[in-house]
Amino acid sequence: MSKENFSPEQSLQLIQSMINKAKDACHDTGIAAIMWGAVIAICSLVRLSELHFEYRLPFDIYLLTIVAVIPQIYFSVKEKKERKVKTYDDAFMDSLWLGFGICIFLMIFTTSVMYSQWNPVAGEYRKLTGTEFPFRLYEFNSSFFLLLYGLPTFVTGVSMKFKPMLWGGLLCWVSCVVTIYTPIKIDLILVALSSFFAWLVPGIIMEKEYRKAKRELTAANV
Amino acid sequence: MFKELDPILHSQLRLAVMSLLISVKEAEFTFIKEKTNSTAGNLSVQIQKLKDAGYIDVKKQFKDNYPQTLCSITKQGIKAFEEYVTNLQSYLGKGEK
Repeated sequence: MSKENFSPEQSLQLIQSMINKAKDACHDTGIAAIMWGAVIAICSLVRLSELHFEYRLPFDIYLLTIVAVIPQIYFSVKEKKERKVKTYDDAFMDSLWLGFGICIFLMIFTTSVMYSQWNPVAGEYRKLTGTEFPFRLYEFNSSFFLLLYGLPTFVTGVSMKFKPMLWGGLLCWVSCVVTIYTPIKIDLILVALSSFFAWLVPGIIMEKEYRKAKRELTAANV
Repeated sequence: MFKELDPILHSQLRLAVMSLLISVKEAEFTFIKEKTNSTAGNLSVQIQKLKDAGYIDVKKQFKDNYPQTLCSITKQGIKAFEEYVTNLQSYLGKGEK
């Protein structure tokens, strides 16, 4: 590839083919989406079974989300090492999902502080009246989280033109509204369903496409 | 009256490199070599020419104890590439009249 006297048509063809090659090289793996979809669905369903069958695990099942951060860091570092090219989309997605992670941890921190201040008030009310306080703060927990889950999922779906995530993001927001009016057991089912359809299913589709593209590239030896 | 095509860009390998870099934020030397089917020596020379013209940035660093060369297009490079494409289109009768 060293010719200097090539025609304008050949130039345009070359530009087009190189832009397509750059585009073809960019496929995201769906590992992180699969993992988080599964983790959130499992946490919600285990908590649901604890409430329904009236038992308690010796640990808080949501600690699983903290444990899942370790493989997430491993996948991110591995992906970064293997990545030979960084697109503008990659840079945007990285910061979007990092921002989402920060928001989730801030949300956990904020709600923990809220509960620590709220629980003594509710306890005092119970002691004085002998009845439960009519407003239960934890009933809104799922709504807050679903609100957050929807944002990066929807934005990813729209910007990547990836419909499963777009619909998944919308489902999170619909569930967010529904969970305001439903009891906690239904909330947990909706969170499990939302994470299943917003992350797990799109993750499986993305992973399949990634593996297919990788096989095709290897076969073409490009 | 046709404008003369930028001689820096009107070379097959240099144009291929610029076309790759226009669509990404940054790319490794090995990626560019792979996609352009060029030899390391020839590619290094052409990348140096693009760098000297101010069209691309070249960042050298170490990754897992191995040297890594990252290339990215500059604002000047984007402008030159856009002008080149506009001129090409006018040659082909698709440009502004």
